[in-house]
Amino acid sequence: MAINPVPDHVPPEMVRDFSLFTSPGMPPTPNGDPHAAVACAHDGPPIFYSPYNTQDGRGTWVITRAADQRKVLQDTETFSSHRSIFSSILGETWPTIPLELDPPAHGAFRSLLSPLLSPKRVTALEPAVRERAIALIDRITASATSCDVMKDFAFPFTVSIFLRFLGLPDQGLDTFVGWAKDLLHGDDVERPVAARKIVAFIDELATNRRKDPVDDLMTFIVQAQIEGRRLTDGEIRGIGVLVFVAGLDTVAAAIGFDLAYLARNLKDQELLRSEPDRILLATEELLRAYPPIQLIRVATKDIDFEGAPIRKGDYVSCATMIANRDPEEFESPNTVDLAREHNRHAAFGYGPHRCLGSHLARREIVIGLEEWLARIPTFRIKEGTAPITCGGHVFGIENLILDWS
Amino acid sequence: MRIIVHNAKCQGHARCWAQAPDIFKLDDDGYILPGDIQVAEGEQLLASQGARSCPERALEVDRTSAARFGPAAMQPRTGEA
Ligand code: SF4
Repeated sequence: MAINPVPDHVPPEMVRDFSLFTSPGMPPTPNGDPHAAVACAHDGPPIFYSPYNTQDGRGTWVITRAADQRKVLQDTETFSSHRSIFSSILGETWPTIPLELDPPAHGAFRSLLSPLLSPKRVTALEPAVRERAIALIDRITASATSCDVMKDFAFPFTVSIFLRFLGLPDQGLDTFVGWAKDLLHGDDVERPVAARKIVAFIDELATNRRKDPVDDLMTFIVQAQIEGRRLTDGEIRGIGVLVFVAGLDTVAAAIGFDLAYLARNLKDQELLRSEPDRILLATEELLRAYPPIQLIRVATKDIDFEGAPIRKGDYVSCATMIANRDPEEFESPNTVDLAREHNRHAAFGYGPHRCLGSHLARREIVIGLEEWLARIPTFRIKEGTAPITCGGHVFGIENLILDWS
Repeated sequence: MRIIVHNAKCQGHARCWAQAPDIFKLDDDGYILPGDIQVAEGEQLLASQGARSCPERALEVDRTSAARFGPAAMQPRTGEA
């Protein structure tokens, strides 16, 4: 990874050796706890500069306080989302939509897609989500008293829900998960190859749905109008790629971290098993403790922000896992308290770009935990195994072997 | 008690609604409806919990209005249109 130099305008005393990619606890670590590892950011100044805090080795300003992250993410004029994270892998600059569009262009696309993922719509999807969770868990318990939660449950569950949403058959599941892995955790050769496959796939799907419309998301997009016109091929691609990538990794990682926590904390596990009504609130606390995402914005102008000389073009990092451990926002932030109230965590971001899939993601996690706890007796991490965790662009857990024999 | 709704700040997290769907009404996209919310006496706890769970700080609890308007239970709730 090429590491970019610290720009001249950054005062040397504001530079801190910190990265979600390379700091201790961030590379793949057996029995790791990357969320606890980043909580150390609160030992220092509220804003600092990290020289290498992105997938491509660029530095970022790191905003540690939840209140400051809220300010950054709500101020889309000063802090732009137009970063072309995905297309830059291909050496291109088109945005994924709506994530990498700024207001006002952002608004039209956001309102086009919002109803598809509104709380109401998600309630309607709930029976299908539950059915899928039950089927997967029943298949596991039919033949074993142990499994790899990531491979056998978390990934097939979350990916199949969103494949259904996109209108794709389940057969593609392993292929898609493979692309996502290469894209998010692969090396400099694997990433562009995966990105190109995803683009080709989305383009082809759009072409097919234009010819033969069915009742699915891609058909909706190719037929949709904004501001009295059809969407361009580039816009359709931008939406398709975002929906594809956003749904693949994040919810599965959350479920993995949550079940790992419950496997290690049997009291909490029994509490939720005997009083399943608590799962709804507990899920918010688990989202606070184990969020998977770092949000990055680009400064559109020179600004002195809370003492930091941010200059046009600088990257500004709002890591949800840091905001969620802010002692000024949360009492005892490093303690998981499943009954915590007023849990205004940052797992889905703040501001106009608040995760569009948040309502679906929440329901998937709640239902996944409900059905898992209802069907699997007291489970622990299988003796002799150690789940491997990693930091990075999306925090993840690579394997989680649970045992209930 | 009254909940002041800062609509421009609402980003559709629906956390208020998740706490108290009868007090906090959302539109079809999941954003809160405009208009301040007058809270009945028996619903004050629930309403303030809902307001305090908004990640954007879009909901402000105004306790002075109860004094100004007399018993809040007598007030019709606004913000439903
Ligand atoms: S919790 Fe806040 S942001 Fe969410 S719907 Fe209610 S008012 Fe809007």
